Amino acid sequence: MRSFKSLAVLAGAAALALSTAAFAQKKEIVIGLQCDRTGPTQTVGVFLCPGYHDYIALVNSKGGVGGAMIKALEIDHEYKVPSAVESYERHKKEGAVLIGIYGTPQTLALTQRLTEDKIAGTSPGFGAAAAANGDRYPYIFPIAATYWSQAAGAVQFAKDKLGGSLKGKKIAYLFYDNPAGKEPMPVFEALAKEEGFQMRTFAVPPPGVEMGAQALDIAQRFKPDFVITHLFGRSPSVSIKELKRVGYPLSKVVSFVWGASEADVEAAGGWAVAEGYYAIQFAGVGSDYPVLKEIAAMYKSQGKPLPKEMASTVFYNRGVLIAAVHVEAIRNAVKAKGGTNITSQDVKLGFEKIKGFSLGGLVPPLEINNVDHEGGGWVQVFQAKGGKWVKATEWFKAYPTLLKKMLASGA
Amino acid sequence: MFDWEFTLVLLTNGVLIGLMYSLIALGFVLVYKATDAINFAQGEFVMLAGFIVAGMLVLAGAPFWLGVAVAVLGMVAFGFGLERVVLRPLIGRPIIAVIMATIGLATVLRGAAPLFFGAETRSITLPISDEPFAFGPFTLPPVQVAGALLSLAFLAAFTWFFLKSRMGVAMRAVADNQQVAMAMGINVERYFAIAWGMAGIVSALGGLAWGALLGVDVHLALIGLKVFPVVILGGLDSIVGAIVGGLIVGVVENLAAGYLDPLVGGGTKDFAPYVLMILMLMIRPYGIFGKRRIERI
Amino acid sequence: MFHRESGYYKTTYAADMALYPLPIARWTVAVIALLMCLAPFFLHEYYISVINLVLVATVGALGLNILVGYTGQISIGHAAFMSVGAYTAANLAVRMDLPFWVTLPAGGLMAAAVGAVVGIPSLRIRGLYLAIATLAGQLIIEWTINHVPWISGGVQASIEVARPTLFGAQLKTQFQLYWFLLFFAVLAIVGTLNLVRSRVGRAFIAIRDHDIAAEIIGINIFRYKLFAFAISSFYAGVTGVLYTYYLGIANYEQFTLITSVDYLAMIIIGGLGSILGSIFGAIFVTLLPIVIRLGMENWGSFLFGNADINNLIPNLRLICFGGLIILFLVLEPEGLNRLWRNIRSYFRVWPFSY
Repeated sequence: MRSFKSLAVLAGAAALALSTAAFAQKKEIVIGLQCDRTGPTQTVGVFLCPGYHDYIALVNSKGGVGGAMIKALEIDHEYKVPSAVESYERHKKEGAVLIGIYGTPQTLALTQRLTEDKIAGTSPGFGAAAAANGDRYPYIFPIAATYWSQAAGAVQFAKDKLGGSLKGKKIAYLFYDNPAGKEPMPVFEALAKEEGFQMRTFAVPPPGVEMGAQALDIAQRFKPDFVITHLFGRSPSVSIKELKRVGYPLSKVVSFVWGASEADVEAAGGWAVAEGYYAIQFAGVGSDYPVLKEIAAMYKSQGKPLPKEMASTVFYNRGVLIAAVHVEAIRNAVKAKGGTNITSQDVKLGFEKIKGFSLGGLVPPLEINNVDHEGGGWVQVFQAKGGKWVKATEWFKAYPTLLKKMLASGA
Repeated sequence: MFDWEFTLVLLTNGVLIGLMYSLIALGFVLVYKATDAINFAQGEFVMLAGFIVAGMLVLAGAPFWLGVAVAVLGMVAFGFGLERVVLRPLIGRPIIAVIMATIGLATVLRGAAPLFFGAETRSITLPISDEPFAFGPFTLPPVQVAGALLSLAFLAAFTWFFLKSRMGVAMRAVADNQQVAMAMGINVERYFAIAWGMAGIVSALGGLAWGALLGVDVHLALIGLKVFPVVILGGLDSIVGAIVGGLIVGVVENLAAGYLDPLVGGGTKDFAPYVLMILMLMIRPYGIFGKRRIERI
Repeated sequence: MFHRESGYYKTTYAADMALYPLPIARWTVAVIALLMCLAPFFLHEYYISVINLVLVATVGALGLNILVGYTGQISIGHAAFMSVGAYTAANLAVRMDLPFWVTLPAGGLMAAAVGAVVGIPSLRIRGLYLAIATLAGQLIIEWTINHVPWISGGVQASIEVARPTLFGAQLKTQFQLYWFLLFFAVLAIVGTLNLVRSRVGRAFIAIRDHDIAAEIIGINIFRYKLFAFAISSFYAGVTGVLYTYYLGIANYEQFTLITSVDYLAMIIIGGLGSILGSIFGAIFVTLLPIVIRLGMENWGSFLFGNADINNLIPNLRLICFGGLIILFLVLEPEGLNRLWRNIRSYFRVWPFSY
């Protein structure tokens, strides 16, 4: 009885307090954003989500989209799946037209729901690579390089660095021992066959705070020509330290997107230690982009100091990228509908019209259509050099035909 | 396939990292030895200490020794406060209550630390060189060597403390039988507080060493999970056991990663210490050096 | 006046052995049942989804309480058995196309078997050592699922499962799933109520209170301890299967150590060794993050700056969660159940004071 009473009180209070949410005429477009600020990936979420909110604030300060303000409702789910499901239901209740999912298990858990409810969800830089196939997963949009594209990009980069051919060469894959870490393996196997290199995998079990043995094995026994790493949390910085310690040159190491931030370099002991380390990014790095300058100007005009999260440009910029792609999809939807009374179905179609939108280089030249929800699998490699991240390549996408074949069959 | 040089390097790595694990386990053992309380929040203590040091060094720009001193004092105060507020009311309660209390505490620390110190990763730069000592095939990073030496120093200090000093003997008496100790005139509550304070000191230095090794952020708390295989293997209430247990876990991990991983396809490193731990639990639950508890009806 | 326990004469054995012999108890249960049946028609889908989560959590909490509260064996590996149940059911459903009323018990039984194996150390060790052994069990089971593609269904270690079909109709919406989950939750509650009144339940309680004395009076503690682990893991397996059907996917990353700790928190806050306590605990722990978030969203702007709110809410939630656990342990060791009983005993003699 008591439990029911409190539930009724809760329901009443919630309804009262949230009565501002529902209205007939759309003056506000609601986006549901999931974040992890207190769970195992909080070192990402704490910087990524403010970047998202700042871009939305920028758009709103310029009048919103078609006259309607964008409201990004953020719910932290601590990287737990039941909380993510509850937050999704809450977002649905608030009338969200798209969901920014956060986390691979969450993406997997919500896929069926999103398809049933016809709401588009984005999973940039994580999630299942197979979701890039828009036919099979019509409502999931990776909108950024999946782990398969990152794997292809890493191999392409290694190939370029090793003189254009990988035949007979050895590549080591140092990865975090969870499903996300293991996902690129089919791509590596296929590429090893195609390009003729030998690949050996080295697993780092969670939490990945110690990998001396693996680093030793790599440097002293396997002696590869290139090392590709795919680590999360604290392990990228440990990998930098360990590889350096066993004497393996960091300029022959390229890391996937989640081992590639300023925080990782900082934790490894600073830029001097990580000199030469390459990292794949799916958003531009550094503060030298027009949109970031606009955000800084917005803060200044409001008389507020710049948020400290902006300094962590790798994650912050990713937040901006996600927000920008979301807003672009909404813009497309509003344009197609001729008004701001859009539904989630319209936004899904809006995603599939995104083309040639690059925010001054921060966003790759994504081209999302109803078959390719990933936008092309663009990656860019940066190098830790002289105290900051320096662009090592332009935006490129690697092995598109192979990936397309794998997506069509593997999915 | 059996490469002597490789194995030797693996063993040295194992010894060094094992002693680093011991540093954390020492905090756990101290508390258990003196107060019979199980501290599931040991990893979070190390994390908190790391945050204090990093906060002092980076945010307040204090010199190194001041940061360390503040961390040590802070952790001691924290230990005292914890014992007074949380653990004293729980004396005599079933063991699950204390376990859950420390788990609750761990959650609070994980929420509070990033809130007060900020969630960015910070690094602690020790006033020793960063270049590894290299001789022959061995490369020993100074941080790990410092941590290992610290562990051994604590081993010596605490062994002396518990064997020879008055306070140490009193603490052992309290651990053995609280009521008799009280009857002999020992202030049990004071010694509980001292034990937690000592654990605070060990946690502070452990936080310093591990923070310098890994970088300080909330993930540092994950190291706490490694404590359990170490203390089970070595014995929950034995200082020497913490050291030996750490050595075993470190060496086994490295050998497993070096030799078993290629056979199984990876990941045995985490697995192996837990399998050993279960075997130890079945054969000799109190560990190699632990005191055998006689069940009295 | 309301809660009168005397003056009811029972004339049959059945009446004496009934679950709810007192009329007021019967009325209360009837009203609750009626409310639970009417509620989904009046509540918004979001609230139904929250209740669904609570229902699934209740089954898990009941299972853990049988093991920890009634038998006194500490287990930190509850979530691992959930994932065993989830993957068993998912594999059966996908590979052999079995319907849910086959995969659900199958998942539970598989989890029970694994649970019995993990419970074997409980014969030699107890207390902290047993807790650590179950912790090792949790990590080893996670590792096994991660590394054996035959179980986990591939590199992504997740298996998509179609929603349960009842008489040909697929249960998809929150409303439909509510009935599905409610059925199993009620089954679990009634089952546990009867279990603890039975011979087996009394053996469990005897083992908890003093296992050596229990052995002396002839209870085979070997058998009953394993039985406790098996039953508790059966509940956990069923919880895992229910999660799988609710979400449509089985993934071991949903069932980590943190989840195990959450369930322990549920039964400690709710009250060890009581069924109502498990229900209270499940409700409390599931709703706490939501309530804190709602509170902060609506009134937090009075206290804190807007930009900080997003960062403050989640961290505050963790602090509240841990703080409440400690608070309950220190102030009210028997949890919400004790609070409820205090209220009930107050009404037992109302309007007199004693």
